[in-house]
Amino acid sequence: MANIAAQRIRREFKEVIKSEEVAKCAIKVELLNDSYTELKGEITGPPDTAYEGGTFVLEIKVPETYPFNPPKVRFITKIWHPNISSVTGAICLDILKDQWAAAMTLRTVLLSLQALLSAAEPDDPQDAVVAKQFKENIEMFQMTARHWTNVYAGGPHVNKECDDKIKRLVDMGVEEHQARVALSSYNWDIERATEQLFS
Amino acid sequence: MENAINLSSQAPESDMECSDNDNDCFDDDDYYNIVDDSEIEQIDPSKTDPENFKYDCLGEEQVERLLNETVECLSYNLKITPSLAKVLLLSHQWRVNKIIEKFRKDASELLISSRIKPPVTPPSLSLSRYITCPVCVVVQPAEKFFSLSCSHMFCKDCWVTHFEVQINQGISTAISCMARDCVVLAPEDFVLKHLSRPSMREKYQQFTFQDYVKSHPELRFCPGPNCPIVVHSTEIRAKRATCSNCKTAFCFQCGMDYHAPTECSIIKKWLTKCADDSETANYISAHTKDCPKCHICIEKNGGCNHMQCYNCKHDFCWMCLGDWKSHGSEYYECSRYRENPNIAHESAHTQAREALKKYLHYYERWENHSKSLKLEEQTLEKLRARINQKVMAGVGTWIDWQYLFTAASLLAKCRYTLQYTYPYAYYMDVGPRKELFEYQQAQLEAEIENLSWKIERAETTDRGDLENQMDIAEKRRTTLLKDFLDV
Ligand SMILES: [Zn+2]
Ligand SMILES: [Zn+2]
Ligand SMILES: [Zn+2]
Ligand SMILES: [Zn+2]
Ligand SMILES: [Zn+2]
Ligand SMILES: [Zn+2]
Repeated sequence: MANIAAQRIRREFKEVIKSEEVAKCAIKVELLNDSYTELKGEITGPPDTAYEGGTFVLEIKVPETYPFNPPKVRFITKIWHPNISSVTGAICLDILKDQWAAAMTLRTVLLSLQALLSAAEPDDPQDAVVAKQFKENIEMFQMTARHWTNVYAGGPHVNKECDDKIKRLVDMGVEEHQARVALSSYNWDIERATEQLFS
Repeated sequence: MENAINLSSQAPESDMECSDNDNDCFDDDDYYNIVDDSEIEQIDPSKTDPENFKYDCLGEEQVERLLNETVECLSYNLKITPSLAKVLLLSHQWRVNKIIEKFRKDASELLISSRIKPPVTPPSLSLSRYITCPVCVVVQPAEKFFSLSCSHMFCKDCWVTHFEVQINQGISTAISCMARDCVVLAPEDFVLKHLSRPSMREKYQQFTFQDYVKSHPELRFCPGPNCPIVVHSTEIRAKRATCSNCKTAFCFQCGMDYHAPTECSIIKKWLTKCADDSETANYISAHTKDCPKCHICIEKNGGCNHMQCYNCKHDFCWMCLGDWKSHGSEYYECSRYRENPNIAHESAHTQAREALKKYLHYYERWENHSKSLKLEEQTLEKLRARINQKVMAGVGTWIDWQYLFTAASLLAKCRYTLQYTYPYAYYMDVGPRKELFEYQQAQLEAEIENLSWKIERAETTDRGDLENQMDIAEKRRTTLLKDFLDV
């Protein structure tokens, strides 16, 4: 690993640990190896959003050319958001692509991701299905995102109705996550979700 | 510490006149000098030939010279470095006068919008002797630090790595400052001052050259494979340019295959449609059809669409299978698509079927002429071999047979235009203009098939007859282009 990259990550790691956001438990990073190439990030869902109360884990890979190229980041925790793939966790965010600047840091990235959770950009989607729901039925989107936050990120809002529908599909032999994806994609219409799952 | 831009370097005494299209060394004055004054009127091809197009094929050095003239002119007028002049030209499609006008009106606004200056005045520079580089976090003496006009300081090593990483990703004129949210661009002299490795400098200059040519409305890279030629024309139109080096012919405006009489946007739409519907249209690629009279299977192995059954000698049209004799007079029923005038009142299903039928009609003809072009190329190869034999056997010389090759290349030119009349017709609104177009298209089509028929039977056709046919076909082609080539 290039000298500058390791040097920078070592320094940034300290910076994040000392930052006021860590003190408020808003963001966190952990080193996964000694060579500073892989890290685990964590952000909490911003207040007054569907993600409130959830903790989202991120995979951070540092390229050799860091910080001249951006880190590769994706969500490990499953999340329902227009700019994040519900399947792979891939993120569509300009600073992780061509708007990256070498003076940005992991702290910048984590705070920007947190900001992305508060303000989605459905016109520049990563997940077309989620973006469509966001634009056409915002209440349905909020409900679904809150439910995912509860199930995958430890959020506080249990949704009995969603859980029941998933259970009905699970009883029919469908895998739980698959059932959740199908129902979420079809606005929790159990008939259409079933149709899609068994076609 | 050093500031990258110097807006007040080299102050010349007087203004130099600039014009956007002023490239004296590429003028065509010489072209006319060889012609007698009295003949100019008859010869001026821009009046008689609808495809006339003035352009030059330039090598890299000639392009550099052309670009540099404009750069120097702007640099001189605004009293800025050539490097900054390039940044301005790149973001203004090389329109010198437009830039000068904007500069006189509000220089600061121009420099900000062109990403030469930051939108807000940078804070005064730190006076400390040691600075921590925000990128590599190393503390170094201040003289190791450099910034663009935005005053964002980074160490020399970081600038070098930043440039090398960007260049390796193919980025050159769009490299910006490393600070967060700073959009100030690194001008050429700043980049070159930091790059020392010759391979990197070379790569950088190669990429900037490409960016300059691509941003220049009067320049086009030849689309031929690995061809270094750049075509220059002050006439930015959908006209045919033929590369002097690799002979590739292309549309100067859009860079795709030449497509008269169809417009750039229409041909693009058509080609996208063809690619999208390729499955639907696939069944058309039949090489065999049954003779409409004796039903024997006939293979098409020449370009001509006037077919003669080898079994019963029946003459028919490959496209519509109609009798060739009656076809001659009523030919235009073959190329024309008859739309259902009441289609608006039909069901959605019928409308969809009708739309597909219409598309397939035009697509089939477009595709057929493209195939004919390829088949006629093969015919020409065979012809070349036969003539070679004749010449070897002492029957005439190559010069005696030259007219046949002239005829074949004219045929290719005519059929090429004919092929591109189909997307044009497909997107035309029904009405008298379309009727006129289809009439001329049919006329052209008939004469092309006659010419093709005669060339395939070259050894038995007399030369006068063939040359006459060539004349007629080319006349039909120019007439159609004159009336409909709208560029
Ligand atoms: Zn540095
Ligand atoms: Zn800057
Ligand atoms: Zn070429
Ligand atoms: Zn074009
Ligand atoms: Zn027959
Ligand atoms: Zn026909």
